[in-house]
Amino acid sequence: MAEAPSTPEPIQRLIEAFHRLPGIGPKSAQRLAYHILRTSEQEALALTEAVMDVKRRIRLCSVCLNITEADPCAYCSDDRRDKAVVCVVEQPLDVLAIERSGGYKGQYHVLHGILNPIDGVGPEDIHVRELVVRLQAGEIQEVIMATNPSLEGEATAMYIQRLLSPAGVRVTRLARGLPSGADLEYTDDVTLARALEGRREV
Amino acid sequence: MSTRPRSYNTEGVILRRRNLGEADSIFTVFSPTEGKFDAIARAVRKPKSRMRGHLEPLTRSQMHLAHGRNLDVFTQAETIAAYLAVRDDLDRLTLAIYCCELVDRFTADRAAQSELYDLLVDLLEALDAGASPTVARYFELRVLANTGYEIRLSHCAICDGPIAEEDTLFSVASGGLVCGGCRSRGGSGRLISVRAIKAMRFAANATMGQFAGLRLEAELEAELQRVLGEAIRSVLERETNSGRYVEALAVPLRPPVHESPGDVQ
Repeated sequence: MAEAPSTPEPIQRLIEAFHRLPGIGPKSAQRLAYHILRTSEQEALALTEAVMDVKRRIRLCSVCLNITEADPCAYCSDDRRDKAVVCVVEQPLDVLAIERSGGYKGQYHVLHGILNPIDGVGPEDIHVRELVVRLQAGEIQEVIMATNPSLEGEATAMYIQRLLSPAGVRVTRLARGLPSGADLEYTDDVTLARALEGRREV
Repeated sequence: MSTRPRSYNTEGVILRRRNLGEADSIFTVFSPTEGKFDAIARAVRKPKSRMRGHLEPLTRSQMHLAHGRNLDVFTQAETIAAYLAVRDDLDRLTLAIYCCELVDRFTADRAAQSELYDLLVDLLEALDAGASPTVARYFELRVLANTGYEIRLSHCAICDGPIAEEDTLFSVASGGLVCGGCRSRGGSGRLISVRAIKAMRFAANATMGQFAGLRLEAELEAELQRVLGEAIRSVLERETNSGRYVEALAVPLRPPVHESPGDVQ
């Protein structure tokens, strides 16, 4: 980054650290760094502690690979949740989204990625193998594929379906169709075709 | 100020997508008139986006774009063909993605290549109609020919002499088949079978439909895949991402290794 040579080295270092964060450009990085400079020492300390705590105390659940403080995570150790159903999602944020819906009381499995042939992300790059291992215990009867309804999400769902079918587990896919508040006129053919396939009695 | 219009219409196939910022995406489009180009779709990752489904990779769409300072911006998009059957079958989906990657890697930005476009649309339609994976071999040959890397199959690529009906050296560096007399000058390559030569000669003159109608033995199919894969690798000087993927799908996942999941990276 072309910075005035007079910027003191510690500030320069902070600017560069911010600049590495997603969505932060050179100007935003500068503004953040100078903001930190003006804050009290306690506030700055709180920030560094928060950052370090995330790195030190958060890890992956050994069962579902969701991010957690306690291992196994709250979902995996909750006896009221159905142990026979596993919902497979791309990333930890998707777990929160499904929890928010309130309609699911089973287990999760977080892939931490998605198959992307174009960018060369293959089965070895995401946590698929752990899912296969989990299934070998025999307790799981249904796997719900909750990857995004995008090209990559569909490819991942089909791949996992193929991988698991010899094990005799039921593999299901989230329904695809019109989102609430949608406009038929602007809906693409794929979505409409899927919506028609999955139509229901009113 | 230039007097060019502020916006334009084109059709095209979406080759790939990259996310940008909170809700935007950059799409790589291959158009018969504009060639390959990148353009931004604003807010396309929000659920109420009107363009989202029309800009999925592997979709053939009619689109309207406004000239941007750097990249052009999509203003409207409507699907022409979505190739549903391709999306429902993992093998055909992977092949289609592989062919899109070939187009992406073999083309330069904003260079119109309508023949290559027609070839890509033909391929997607053939796969959608249930064609065998063999069409990918036809596609590979034609992509090479269309982008200036035609493989010489009729005569020796070095001396222009006849090719005997026997296993023959195939050298990408020399530009095709190398006859027995020139073999020492042909550089590295591999011997390919008479059947493979005949299949490639047939492909050079046939339509995609005619080639797809061939019933190739698995062994011959594998040989063609290997030979053409090597030719493409040597022209591109790299592996294709999705090509490796096609191979990965063919073999089962490595037996699970019991390892404790590490920390969050």
